[in-house]
Amino acid sequence: TPRNATPEIPRRNHEAQKPASILEEARLRLHVSAIPESLPCREEEFQDIYNFVESKLIDGTGGCMYISGVPGTGKTATVHEVIRCLQEAAENDDLPSFQFVEINGMKLTDPHQAYVQILELLTGQKVTATHAAALLAKLFNTPGPKRKTTVLIVDELDLLWTRKQNVMYNLFDWPTQKHSKLIILAIANTMDLPERIMMNRVASRLGLTRMSFQPYTYKQLQQIISSRLNSMKAFEEDAIQLVSRKVAALSGDARRCLDICRRATEICEFASQKRTPEIVRMAHITEAIDEMFSSPYINAIRNASLHEQIFLKAILAEFRRAGVEEATVQQVYHQHIALCRIEGMQSPTVSEIMAICSRLGACRLLLVESSNKYLHMRVRLNISQDDVMYAFKDE
Amino acid sequence: MSKRKSKENSGTNGECISQVQKILRERFCRRYATGKLFGIEHQHRHLLELLKRTAVHGESNSALIIGPRGSGKTALLNHVLKELTEMKQVRGNLLEVHLNGLLQTNDKVALKEITRQLHLENVVGDKVFGSFAENLAFLLEALRKGDRTSSCPVLFILDEFDLFVHHKNQTLLYNLFDISQSAQTPVTVIGLTCRQNRFTFLRRYKPVVLYYRRRAIFIHVAGLYYTVVRSLERPVGISVSWSAVGPADFPDESFAQKWNNNVQCLSEDKTVQDVLQNLFHRTKDLRSLHLLLMLAVSNVTVHHPLITASDLHEASKHYRMDSKANIVHGLSVLEICLIIAMKHLNDVYEGEPFNFQMVYNEFQKFIQRKAHCMYNFEKPVVMKAFEHLLQLELVKPIERPSVRTQREYLLMRLLLDNNQIMDALQAYPNCPTDVKQWAASSLSWL
Repeated sequence: TPRNATPEIPRRNHEAQKPASILEEARLRLHVSAIPESLPCREEEFQDIYNFVESKLIDGTGGCMYISGVPGTGKTATVHEVIRCLQEAAENDDLPSFQFVEINGMKLTDPHQAYVQILELLTGQKVTATHAAALLAKLFNTPGPKRKTTVLIVDELDLLWTRKQNVMYNLFDWPTQKHSKLIILAIANTMDLPERIMMNRVASRLGLTRMSFQPYTYKQLQQIISSRLNSMKAFEEDAIQLVSRKVAALSGDARRCLDICRRATEICEFASQKRTPEIVRMAHITEAIDEMFSSPYINAIRNASLHEQIFLKAILAEFRRAGVEEATVQQVYHQHIALCRIEGMQSPTVSEIMAICSRLGACRLLLVESSNKYLHMRVRLNISQDDVMYAFKDE
Repeated sequence: MSKRKSKENSGTNGECISQVQKILRERFCRRYATGKLFGIEHQHRHLLELLKRTAVHGESNSALIIGPRGSGKTALLNHVLKELTEMKQVRGNLLEVHLNGLLQTNDKVALKEITRQLHLENVVGDKVFGSFAENLAFLLEALRKGDRTSSCPVLFILDEFDLFVHHKNQTLLYNLFDISQSAQTPVTVIGLTCRQNRFTFLRRYKPVVLYYRRRAIFIHVAGLYYTVVRSLERPVGISVSWSAVGPADFPDESFAQKWNNNVQCLSEDKTVQDVLQNLFHRTKDLRSLHLLLMLAVSNVTVHHPLITASDLHEASKHYRMDSKANIVHGLSVLEICLIIAMKHLNDVYEGEPFNFQMVYNEFQKFIQRKAHCMYNFEKPVVMKAFEHLLQLELVKPIERPSVRTQREYLLMRLLLDNNQIMDALQAYPNCPTDVKQWAASSLSWL
C-alpha cells in the first residue's frame, strides 16, 4: 500500500447546476444532509449537553454521558452542534481548548478497531488493535502535565458490544482515571442499553448522567419544516401540517418527514409539466404518503398471472377446509384443479404448479420450504388472508 | 444439419436464415439487448429523473426497484443508464459501481470491489491493498472529502439487494445510506430485488431501515393479454422501429418483409393466440415468452424458412411437459407395479408413510390375486427396483437413512400425485392390461 495515499473521488467535469426553480431550491433545503446551523426544538437538550461538557472542561476532569433516543430525533446533530459551539468558545479563550475525536460503531469492521481509530485520530499513528489498546491505556493512565482535555463521541454504541465487553469497559474506565481528562458522549438508540447488555461493572462506570431524546411532536415537525423552508412559498400550510401529523403519529422521525416532503416536490414537478410555478398541495402530499406507506403486496397480487391468482385462491380454500394456516403443495394442487374445473380451464401440470409456487415464494407472498420436498413442501401465506381476499375483491 | 443444407442451397436464402437466427437469438438470450420497454413508462420516467438529478445537481438519493423475477428490472436500469450516458450534461459526470449480492457475498469482498471500480489510490492494477478495516476507513475518508457541488457523483447499483441485508451488522448498507444522507460526496444507491417486503427484511437492524429512504419503484408486468400478443410480434419481427437491426442491416430486404408479414399473420392465428394465452395465464414474465419463442425459432431451417403455428404449438408442448410424469414413462413394468402398490397404500392409509416391506406385500397380493406368474420376481430384484425409484427421487425417505435402520424398514413417502400416476399410465407404451386394471381399482379387491 502506498502508505500516505490521499483518498479522493475524482472531480466532476461540469459544475453542478444551480437550482432553477422554487421547487428545486426547496428540495435542496429539505435534503437530510442540509443540516441547519441550530436545530429547532432541541434547545433544552442542547443546553444540557453543553452545560455538562462545559463544566467538565472548566474543572479539568473527565466523565461520561449516555444519550439515547429513537432514530431521526436529532441526537447526532445536536451533539455536533454542541461541539461546534464549544470549539468557537475555546477559540475565543472563554474555555480551555480541547481535542475532539469521533468514532461510529457502524463504521468499524470490528469493535476492537475502535482503539485503532481513536489512536490514529489523537496521534496519527497506525498500529494494530492490541498495540493501540496498550498505547491508549498508557496515554490515559499516566499523568501528563500539559494534557488537553479530550472529548470523544461514540456513535452507535451498541455495536461495540463484544462477549467480554472489554472495549466498552475500557472506554468507560478511562474517564474515571485521575489523569485522563477524557469526556465521553455515548449515543445509542435504546434507553435501557446499559441495563440490558452491559455487565454491572461497565454500567456503573457509565454513570447515571443520561439523556433521552423524545420523538418529535407534530408541532415540532411543522416548525422544523418551516424553518428549513425559511419563508419560501413552496408548500401550502395545510400540506405541511398533514405531513407532520402523519409522521408524528407513526414514528416522529424527522428524516422520514423531510423525505416525504421531498418526494412531494417531485410529484408536484411531475404533475406540472408546463413551466408554470406551482406549489405543493395536499394532493401531492397524500400521494407521496401513500407511495411510502402503502403495502406492496396487494398490487403484487393484482398483477400476478391468472394461475398464480388461482393458486392463492386454492390456498385460501385449503386453509378454510383444513382450518390450519399451513398446507402442503399436494393439497393446494387438488384445490387448484378443482377451481380450474369450475372455471372450465385447462388445469396445469404438477411441474407448472411447482414453478408457480416457487415464483410466489421468491417474491415472498408465500413462505415455502426448500423445494426438494416436492409435493410435500409446506406452504404458508406471508400476508393475512384478509389482504388476499381484499386484493381479489376489487377486480 | 441446417448448416449443411444451407451450403447445398447456396444462395441468399441460407444467408438470410442464419442472419435471422443470429438476430433473434441475440434478442432472446442476451438480457442486455435494449429495445422498447413495455408498460413501465411511468417507472422509467421516475428513475430517469432521479438519476438525472444525481448526475446534474449532485443530489443524493436512494431507491429500490422491486418486481418479480423476469419482469425487466435490469432491463429498465440498463435502459435508463444508456439514456443517461448519451446526455451531454451527464457524460463523464457519473461514476458507476455495480455490485451483485451473489458475487459480493460479504462486506469484505464488496468493499474491495467498490475500491477497485472507483480506482482509488490504494489500487494498483487490479489489486486492492490493505486490510478490511483499512479499506473501509479509506473508502469512507475518500467519500467524506468530497462535497455536493464539486465531486463526481457515485452511483451504486446493488443487484440482488436482499442478499446484502444478510451481511454482518449490515455495515456496508448503513455506510452507503449514511453517506447518501450527509453532506459528503453525492451518492445514489439503487437496489434491485424481487422480494416484495421492502421494510421487514431491513428491520433486522434498526438504524438501517431508517436511513433507508422509503422510495420504491414497483415493476409489474403489464396487465392485458393483448399486450403479450403485440409484444410477440416485435421480438420475432425484424421491424425497423423496434431495434437497430432493420432491413438496412439485413441482406435481403424482401425476406425481411416476408418474415414480418408472416409474423403479423401468425399473431392473428387462433392456435398461436391459444398458445400465448395459455402461457400468459401461467406466467406474465417476458423471459418465459422469450424461451418459448427461442424453441420455436430454433426450428427454422432453409427447408422450413418461416415460422408456422405448429412450431409454436410444438414448442409450447415442450414447455408444458411434466418432468416427473416423463420419468415415469421411462420406468420398467416392475417399477410401475411398485408405484401402483405405493399409490394403493397411500389411498388406503391416507398418506401415511410406508416402508419397502409394505410395498412388497402389496405387490405380492397383486400377484397372488391376479394369479399371474409373469411378474413373480424374487425379493432382491424387487428391492433393486425399489432402490432405483429411490435414486430417481420418486420416493423419498422421511428421515435420513442411518446405520441402525435396515433398508427394508426405512419409512418413505411417494413424491407423485395420483393424477400424475394415472396420466403417466395412460401414456405408458405397451402397458399390460392387468396392471392397468389393478391401478384403476384400488379398494375393490382388498
